Amino acid sequence: MHLPEIDKFAHLKSPLHSWDARVKIVSISTLILSIVLLEDIRVAFLGLVLAIILVFLSKIPFSFVLVHLRWVLFFVLALFVVISLTVPGNLLIKLSFFSISREGVRLSLLISLRAISAALLVFPMLGTTRFYLTLKALQKIKIPAPLIQLLMFTYRYIFLFLDEEKRVFIGANSRGWVRKTNLSSLKTIGSLVGMLLVHSFERTERIRDAMVSRGYNGRVKTLDEFTLSAKDFIKASLIIAIALLLNLFRWIR
Amino acid sequence: MHISDGVLSAPVWIGGYAAAATIIAATIKKIKVDNMPKVAVMTSAFFVASLIRVPLGPTSVHLVLSGLVGIILGPAAFISIFVGLVLQAFLFQHGGITTIGINAIMMGTPAFLAYEIFNLRKNFSFGANEFIFGALAGACGVFLATLILALALITTGSEFMGVAKYAALAHLPVMIIEAITTGFIASFLMKVKPEILKGK
Repeated sequence: MHLPEIDKFAHLKSPLHSWDARVKIVSISTLILSIVLLEDIRVAFLGLVLAIILVFLSKIPFSFVLVHLRWVLFFVLALFVVISLTVPGNLLIKLSFFSISREGVRLSLLISLRAISAALLVFPMLGTTRFYLTLKALQKIKIPAPLIQLLMFTYRYIFLFLDEEKRVFIGANSRGWVRKTNLSSLKTIGSLVGMLLVHSFERTERIRDAMVSRGYNGRVKTLDEFTLSAKDFIKASLIIAIALLLNLFRWIR
Repeated sequence: MHISDGVLSAPVWIGGYAAAATIIAATIKKIKVDNMPKVAVMTSAFFVASLIRVPLGPTSVHLVLSGLVGIILGPAAFISIFVGLVLQAFLFQHGGITTIGINAIMMGTPAFLAYEIFNLRKNFSFGANEFIFGALAGACGVFLATLILALALITTGSEFMGVAKYAALAHLPVMIIEAITTGFIASFLMKVKPEILKGK
């Protein structure tokens, strides 16, 4: 299983890595919004091409991106099957007991293009900055402090929790326990998860106490400072202009 | 259960964000440096829950734990689930970015009700109160979420009627597994560390 390390390639150098995190988050979020609002399949396809270009420019390896995209691909595939079979319209293919309509295929294709492009754009946006810097940028954009704190703590505990979860279940398996569909198996899972929670509560309370005693008061403090240059604004205006243009197509036609 | 980007119509997901922002604004005071570890542990548990698989005949389903988050965090549950979804969307590409709001409404609001249901146990004495009310709370988490999911899909367009029906059916076994597991987790916590389940 892979760990959710979105910033694994944040050490590389690319036009997206050097972009100021605050401006980057705002600009690429605008682009994501604009792509999700697209109604025309051809324009949505253009959106996907743009997303791929941005991932390419960010130098994040496509193999890494693809592993992360498997949930989206799985979702899109399931949707394709259900929508093509249930949306009525002009028949495209008719087999003995089911039929695939042109409208169904069009709708599922549009949704797939929008979903995949949005997911791809997360990599140039967050994969090119260290996670703690992203949090600091969010703090500068005035996202409420409790939310940022919670994001920070949770992000750290996820790795801890994944490790512990693996350890607890390996422990049970090595004692001969097998997952089955019955009440006693569910009881064991319930107790293991409960144990995991109790361990984690105690551990994180100690971490909290250690942090508070070192002066933690709920704000992200790093020595990195953000500086804005003309380049940051040029990149931002380019991305936002593209975002607007994609949606303008529909009004011109 | 998550809705991905690009499925819902704009009014539905924008409405989802507006509603989620309102609930967050109303409950954000519940998160302090003091209870941060508890909330963060439950948030990461919620995040990791989708990786804990329970076999079901030839396939397997995964835990959701939104009911359990409600039981343990009470009024802070919504923010916890919201943050869990934000991380799932951005770190795992699981769910969508524009749909975080509506997904939070879908999984987070049932957590409030789960909390209330679990608190009702004090009025009864079945001998296995924690298991019974934990199971009800867990079932409520999945059941209401499925209901909201179906509603969101149907309000987006009639062509999603089929998807909504299949999604609702697929969540029936998830609900049963979730209920029993949440019941066992609650009764385990009651035995080992009852102060976690203090409630009101």
